[in-house]
Amino acid sequence: MDASLFFLLNMGYGVLTLALVALGLAVIFGLLGVMNMAHGEFIAMGAYSAYAAQSAGLPLFVSLPAAALVTGAVGWLIEATVVRHLYKRPFDTLLATWGISILLREGIKLAFGVDYKSVVEPVSGSTGVLGIDYPNYRIAVMAALLVCFFLLFLWYRKSHASARVRAMIANPELAAIVGINTKRLASLAFVIGAASAGIAGAMLAPLVQIEPYMGINYLLQSFFVLVVGGLGSFHGLFIGSGVIGGVASTASAAFGGTGGYVTLLLISILFLWLKPEGLYAGR
Amino acid sequence: MRVADLSLPLSLAALVAVPFVFGDFTAYQIGLFLLYGSVAQGVALCWGRVGILPLGQALFFGLGAYLGGGALIRFEHSSILLYPALLGAVLAPATVAGAIGILVFRRNVGSGPYFSLITLALSMLAYQVALGADWLTGGYMGLNGIPPLPGTDPWSTLYWVILGALVLSTGVLLWITRSPLGQLLHAVSQNEDRLSFLGFDIARLKALAFAVSAALAGMAGALYAAQQGIVTPQVLAYVLSGELLIWTAVGGRASLIGPAAGAVLIGMLTSNLRDRFQYWEILLALLFLAIVLFAPTGLAGLIAPLLKRLPKRVHAMRDVERPLPDRGDMPMLSFEEVRVTIGSVRILQGLTLELKKRGLHCLIGPNGAGKTSAFNALMGRLSVSGGRITWGGRDITGLPAHKVARLGIARKLQVPAIFHDMTVGVHLDIALWSGGISARELLSQRSFRYRNEILGVLKEMFPFLNDEEKRAGDLSLGHRQVLEFALSVIARPEVVLLDEPCAGLSTQETANLTAAIRKIAGRFDISALIIEHDFSVVEELSDHIFVLHQGQTLSEGTLEAIRADHKVQAVYTGGTK
Repeated sequence: MDASLFFLLNMGYGVLTLALVALGLAVIFGLLGVMNMAHGEFIAMGAYSAYAAQSAGLPLFVSLPAAALVTGAVGWLIEATVVRHLYKRPFDTLLATWGISILLREGIKLAFGVDYKSVVEPVSGSTGVLGIDYPNYRIAVMAALLVCFFLLFLWYRKSHASARVRAMIANPELAAIVGINTKRLASLAFVIGAASAGIAGAMLAPLVQIEPYMGINYLLQSFFVLVVGGLGSFHGLFIGSGVIGGVASTASAAFGGTGGYVTLLLISILFLWLKPEGLYAGR
Repeated sequence: MRVADLSLPLSLAALVAVPFVFGDFTAYQIGLFLLYGSVAQGVALCWGRVGILPLGQALFFGLGAYLGGGALIRFEHSSILLYPALLGAVLAPATVAGAIGILVFRRNVGSGPYFSLITLALSMLAYQVALGADWLTGGYMGLNGIPPLPGTDPWSTLYWVILGALVLSTGVLLWITRSPLGQLLHAVSQNEDRLSFLGFDIARLKALAFAVSAALAGMAGALYAAQQGIVTPQVLAYVLSGELLIWTAVGGRASLIGPAAGAVLIGMLTSNLRDRFQYWEILLALLFLAIVLFAPTGLAGLIAPLLKRLPKRVHAMRDVERPLPDRGDMPMLSFEEVRVTIGSVRILQGLTLELKKRGLHCLIGPNGAGKTSAFNALMGRLSVSGGRITWGGRDITGLPAHKVARLGIARKLQVPAIFHDMTVGVHLDIALWSGGISARELLSQRSFRYRNEILGVLKEMFPFLNDEEKRAGDLSLGHRQVLEFALSVIARPEVVLLDEPCAGLSTQETANLTAAIRKIAGRFDISALIIEHDFSVVEELSDHIFVLHQGQTLSEGTLEAIRADHKVQAVYTGGTK
């Protein structure tokens, strides 16, 4: 009983954080059609921002806005200098963002070195949940994410910004004609995608090993989520995170790390084969 | 002589001179990057020629290295088994790649990011397996004490084997790119739809190129094991896959020896500068970005303009007459209650339509009637939610485009679809091969000499088709329409679907093309199903007319019968454009 509850909590944690990790890639791919190969490096930058904040002796709650600010600014710069010129050339955006991922990674190496870093949890200790002890920080992260996603969902359904974004996806030319500044909107979407990746990195920083190559696995996980869930909707993001997060924690528990990875990959290929549009493709 | 002809022997001479001029140690260092160069050549085949981007090519290099290293250890004293085992180190990666390619490409028209990310994920997986499976791979420490290739010394004579391997890979790639197969691979990157409407299986072509690139990677990997004497999981690492991409980009993705030159140049620079100049890796990443953005052809592209004055390649004389396919009666094409729905929009609502006998059939109807959608449903490009499409009684609903095309159903698109960067001559070749081509013909230069009777008639009517060296992208719109029409009829299909063949043409051009359609269809017994708005064309080209309205057949018959039909008059008042 205890073991299974623990497992369920871990799974819930896995699914929620995966949704956060994948959000940035989903926003940028879903809205702009750009597969941002540097997504993992944005997450790494968020984690390193948290580390830098800690090293500078700043209180740890500063690290989230700091990470969002840093990654958002880098995202804006990249969109304005490189990605903007390539929207009509999807193959080249793939290559260019891949080049950017190397650039960012090498930048991180130069600034922080190649060794592992760690960040201390801002909330320590653990709480008894139905008879088992669960780390407080994980509980805090889960609660914060549930609230954030709920708010995001409401905003997406209600606000004019989301209507404009949806109009831009449906027909960029027409959206421009009716007075939507598609250029600024595209830039904003990229910045939001980058910043959300940064927040994800900062939030996960106390729980993972921070090193320059950490990004690649986040990129692949997020990609699997998109393959399974489909594009362009919140439902898809959560279904994808649920399937991938659920499978990952179950399979890792059953077959170990490599076995879990094999299972993930096979499931993603299976989805690509059977449901190339994903489980929830509706835009 | 052309650039490529001259650069090959020059580079070879330089590489032969290396051990004599710089000594064995430099040759050993360069040898390693020549191996990576062979892998980069394979990456360039996929990326530059076919337009698919493998992001995890280290997977196949590493596979070859582990298999080759294992073979050298296991069969050190039995050369009868060693060489077949080494061959396995080349063939196994190729087989794996071919299987992955088929699996991914069959399902996924277009070359989006899926293939790239899946190859990346697979290489990450292989890395983890190599790290974890101690009993098989030696884990973190890797395979140690790999004996050299019999009769060679890794520090001196193995260089010649490596050079031989590079010459082999260059030779194989040169042979492939100059063959009909190479033209088809290039055509994939230019226009997948057009090629599949001609009956070519895009997934197989892409998977084949990927398999060839993996074979090259496997060969280089096996030699790497022999040269280094140790294979660790680093040969599978993501970093190597990335470096391969950079070398290929710098050398020139569309070039043959460019990627190998890029590997040697950047590889040697990196190993010398990495520790001395801390900004080197950043500089390299910036260089890669600059190449992607501003100079996609890399170094090879910078050198090429210097030799622009050289004469371009002349197309082979067409002196091999190909007989037209024989055949009996046309199988009946019929749509039975076909339904197509996209989202909440019902595009076809029980379309029923039969092409019973040979002749010219027109498909008319107001915008949104479902004319082009009917073509798309037939060619497997729109999924049919109800009813069925049959050909000679056989259910062909949902068959992929290339299989429908092979039944003898050709299609011309509304906006002319051609292979922009390829010559008119190669277009005609591809059309001639589209009726069916054997594996041997795919690799034979003789296939460039084909001609047939239909081509003869077309060349007579449209003299521009004789200028076979002309780039298709440089043709006028009118000529492109004619060229695509030629592509779809040269192999003598049973039925050709023409989607507004005269769209955008002048009155004179329209008259010429209309006459050609009538003449070719009549003389060679090719039926046509033509979507047309222009009534002057309909008058000229219709033995039988179908009127579509709201996804159903409203009326059918001869032009007079249609004109007299009140239902048609009600929804569709015809006129000339």
